[in-house]
Amino acid sequence: MSIRIITRAIQRLSTVRTGTRTPTYFKLMTRAESTTVVPKQKFDSVTEQYLGFGNFVAECLPKYIQKIQISSKNELELLIAPEGVLPVFHFLKNQTNCQFANLSDLCAVDVPQRSNRFEIVYNLLSLRFNTRIRVKTYTDELTPIDSITSIYEAANWYEREIWDMFGVFFTNHPDLRRILTDYGFEGHPFRKDFPLSGYVEVRYDDEKKRVVVEPLEMSQEFRRFELSTPWEQFPNFRSASPTTEEVVSADKEKK
Amino acid sequence: MAAREASKCATKIVRPLLSSDKSEAKKRVLNLYKTYYRQIPLMLFDRHLPVSKEECQIKLKEEFLKNKHITDVRVIDMLVIKGQMLLQEIVTKWAQDCHIMTLFKDTVEPKPNDFLSKFVNNNDSQ
Amino acid sequence: MSYKYLKQTTGLTRLNVAKSPHYTLGVLYGKILRTLRKMPEDAAYRKYTEQIISNRAKIVQETVAVEDFEKKIDCGQAEELIVQAENELVLSRQMLAFKPWESLIAKPSADQWSWPPSK
Repeated sequence: MSIRIITRAIQRLSTVRTGTRTPTYFKLMTRAESTTVVPKQKFDSVTEQYLGFGNFVAECLPKYIQKIQISSKNELELLIAPEGVLPVFHFLKNQTNCQFANLSDLCAVDVPQRSNRFEIVYNLLSLRFNTRIRVKTYTDELTPIDSITSIYEAANWYEREIWDMFGVFFTNHPDLRRILTDYGFEGHPFRKDFPLSGYVEVRYDDEKKRVVVEPLEMSQEFRRFELSTPWEQFPNFRSASPTTEEVVSADKEKK
Repeated sequence: MAAREASKCATKIVRPLLSSDKSEAKKRVLNLYKTYYRQIPLMLFDRHLPVSKEECQIKLKEEFLKNKHITDVRVIDMLVIKGQMLLQEIVTKWAQDCHIMTLFKDTVEPKPNDFLSKFVNNNDSQ
Repeated sequence: MSYKYLKQTTGLTRLNVAKSPHYTLGVLYGKILRTLRKMPEDAAYRKYTEQIISNRAKIVQETVAVEDFEKKIDCGQAEELIVQAENELVLSRQMLAFKPWESLIAKPSADQWSWPPSK
């Protein structure tokens, strides 16, 4: 009895899912109309729509968008210059064809080999058109990034988290302070050069009747860490490119 | 060619963190130092710390002088920002007594210098 | 009253039923189009937004019943269309200051968007 009800509910859900209409602007901005080169490969219709939309955004904001790409899991990514954070998010939230009103996630990636070592990744959701987009930008340890809390309230705690974990400073943030680490903690734990064991150890001191913090001292045998992750099951894909297709923005194409 | 590259690097325009030049950064540092200095008696009045006012003032000076070799304006700004955050934690009492006392490191034993005590304390031989 | 029947709620929190959607939308669309006209002719943002907004403005002007133009525009209720138009107006005014139609502001370094990163 109950199982039947559940299956019926699932069926209803799936009909709702498939019943969503394709956004009209996707039909409007197909690749034929935009000014990009025709790709060598054939893509399914969803990817085509993503490419069309990506080209539309790149055409509207040639000042800020460096690259558009489709990830290997069929997601649209915009790679933008750090100066363009505010205009790009204003556009994506308020433009009638975008309406990405929901910031679902904001995080950072540390790649120490690059001159701008931090990648800031924004994930947006448009409830109106039932679609997602990812925006990436970059910075280094000392260059501040514009806070988008004036556009998305949700960015407040995410930006605090990035400040705490990576040490990226956000200008015009209303309340930038630590969020995950303890008071008195020094350093930014998600940086790749932060040691796995940390710098200090914490214990309760019976004499002082309080918690004390001391520099970490480890004997040599405990220092040897196995740093290769035990969870990586697919080493063949470690160096695989994450994108299926890279799209050059229309502006560069003209030159 | 290399020299030209180097000069290009040296004249690269960077986005300022807070201060546009060195004198402004210096003002910020002095301002922060003064605010800390005025906060010490209030802090000791509010809490039961096993340190005197003079000890706190010496500690404060020591912490600031630790970074006196830094000349990059942006690094100074970053340190000022972190100092302001710590001050906020102390004033609002988010940081408890034990967090403040970590600055004094009164349980940390000094590292051995002579050979014999180094040998006796050696962890690696265990 | 240009609704066919009495509309009591939009069904969306904090979004009240609009008193006269035709008038509000007309004013907003007019303002947007006037702002867009200050941008250069060949700006893609101006081109696309003008296309959408003038299309919507035409539909709103021609259709008497609110339910009908909602169906024709196919982007939510009239109240949601008003919110969208307000957002677009704010955006278009911001865009005048940002000038996004200029050429690329900063080029990424060669290794910035490559993967795996060079060792």
